[in-house]
Amino acid sequence: MSDFGSALESGARLLRGLPRRRAHVAQARRTAAAWAADHPGLQAQLVVDERPGTPVVDFDLLLSDPEGGTVALSAQAEDGVPWLIDHSTHWAAGQLVTVDEVHLSVAQALTMIRSLSRRDTTPHDEIVDQCLIINEVAGDDGPVSDEELQAAADEFRRGRGLHDRAATLAWLTEMGMTPGQFEDYIGGIARRRSFRRRKEAELGPARLAARPGDFDRVRAAWITGPEGDVTGNLPVLAALHGAGTAALAELDGEVETVIAERFAADLPAPLREAGPGTVAGPVPHGGGFLAGAVLGRTAARDDERTLAAAGRVAFTEWLAERRRRAAVEWHWS
Amino acid sequence: MILILSDRRDDAVELVLPKLERRGARVTWWDPGDFPARGRLTAAFADGGHRIVLDTGAERLDLAEVRAVWRRRPNAPRPAETVTEPSHRRHAVWQAEFLLDGAWELAPARWLPSRREVERRAHNKIIHMARAAALGFRVPETVYTNDPAELVPAYERAGGNLIAKQINSDEFTLDGADHRTYTTVLGRRHLTSRHRLQHEPVILQPYVPKAVELRVIVVGERVFAAEIDARDSRTARDDWRHYDDDRVRYAAHRLPDGLERACAELTASLGLTYGAIDLILTPDGEYAFLEINPNGAWGFVEQRAGLPVSDAIADWLVAADGIAEHAMSAPVNDTATHPANDTVDGKTDHE
Repeated sequence: MSDFGSALESGARLLRGLPRRRAHVAQARRTAAAWAADHPGLQAQLVVDERPGTPVVDFDLLLSDPEGGTVALSAQAEDGVPWLIDHSTHWAAGQLVTVDEVHLSVAQALTMIRSLSRRDTTPHDEIVDQCLIINEVAGDDGPVSDEELQAAADEFRRGRGLHDRAATLAWLTEMGMTPGQFEDYIGGIARRRSFRRRKEAELGPARLAARPGDFDRVRAAWITGPEGDVTGNLPVLAALHGAGTAALAELDGEVETVIAERFAADLPAPLREAGPGTVAGPVPHGGGFLAGAVLGRTAARDDERTLAAAGRVAFTEWLAERRRRAAVEWHWS
Repeated sequence: MILILSDRRDDAVELVLPKLERRGARVTWWDPGDFPARGRLTAAFADGGHRIVLDTGAERLDLAEVRAVWRRRPNAPRPAETVTEPSHRRHAVWQAEFLLDGAWELAPARWLPSRREVERRAHNKIIHMARAAALGFRVPETVYTNDPAELVPAYERAGGNLIAKQINSDEFTLDGADHRTYTTVLGRRHLTSRHRLQHEPVILQPYVPKAVELRVIVVGERVFAAEIDARDSRTARDDWRHYDDDRVRYAAHRLPDGLERACAELTASLGLTYGAIDLILTPDGEYAFLEINPNGAWGFVEQRAGLPVSDAIADWLVAADGIAEHAMSAPVNDTATHPANDTVDGKTDHE
């Protein structure tokens, strides 16, 4: 046999012995490089074909033909694996996460990311929350009203500065979405918004009745900053009750000040249940420290704004409970 | 009385149950996977007749009362956990299956889609493809084979646009992880492992160009067609079972009258009262037959394309003995016996 014939035979043996798994590609490359070094005249190169959705890889060996040109060598061992199984894909290929019955594809996740609020939560948690809501609306095939669709579209466009048709079409082009896909996408958002609104309305009254104190209107002042600066200003906070808030303009050190009236549930945690005149803190808060004082507190009323706030809190708690019970599986590999 | 045989987590049953309740039907939902561990079945012969009673644990059901059976996704019989020796478990399953098959055969009911053996035969792709071709469906040039020598000629005949599919779905793992075989569009790379074909047969077909894919649901005489437009989805365009719902459009589709009749005829000719037929509408306006699944999914046809399949199933089940007209007033004969020759043949029953 010619030297080239022997090299082909040896190359086929090399290919049959390489580990056909993505995790072992580096090892395969090292083995092939050693083989190439033993056959310097052939300028051997290993081609690795990493198939999507499976750990299985394929190899080719490119060799310079002594008579000119290139010879490509491919070899598949007889390992007893049926053909379709060798070419199968992982059940979750192309999927990012499974939450209960919802399988979220990578493409769907990328689309979803455009509508995440990114408020008070990580993208991971918010993606899971969105999947939970998709689970809830899965059986909801009723029509979405034009008003709901318009509201969802307006909110989405406002959030991205798409104030006119031209800007929206340019954005769709940039994102690779057709107008029809955008319509379906907004329809999905509208359906989820509608579910959330219904759920909030359903849960709000009971939540308000269960703990009305969470919806007291509380006027409070709080400061955040380095521990020393926050601690140093505690006497100012303690003197606020009955003396007005003018002293807050004279605080020492690097602190940020907030004076606001909020529902108790929306205040920083140390102030939520505090009575007027109470100073709370300092406590660790967002990388620094927080201290505050309650200036006034009005008992919760059974009005529309309060019920809406109770609905929002109840929905957040309901979602947290659903998340706790959900089967969540991320498909990273 | 309507008997539903299916897993207790079956969403499709959940969709139909309210419709049955609205029609005043008496329904028992039982999973044969509960048998013999929890359920009890007794077939007693005496005085030239027989009586078969199923005790589900929640109720006792005389099978003579059952007029319609919806065989959805029942689990195989399972022995009690206390039966631990593997050969004992196999033995118990074998005995249980025989008794169940016999009991279902003797129940004077009509079945959706059919009894087990009829469904198994109809599900066989070679059998139903032959039937479809005989009925005039346009069937793509198709090869079922485990001969490695057939691969390259099929690839060349298809002009390099060849797909491979499995003959029957089943579970398997690769490196310990669950894998699936979807419709695989072949490249030249696939030819290099042709020897692997010898280990199990596959289906080879030219890639049929799509305007849309169609899932046609047949319930008795009623036909519902949903079109699935996956052309905008990179993941689902070759196989909609990848379910890329943000990019796949579903809609009701009007079939030509002759094709609609042929779908119903194909289903009935296979001994079925229900079938999920997959077709492709080509850009040239031709309809190509792919397969029929005797218990194929229809939930998305209803939810995404707005077609009232659950109502049709409920209507079909209720129509078995006119429950809608005299729902709860029908006399119940707990002691009725039925001669063995009352057995209803599945095919005759729905014709």
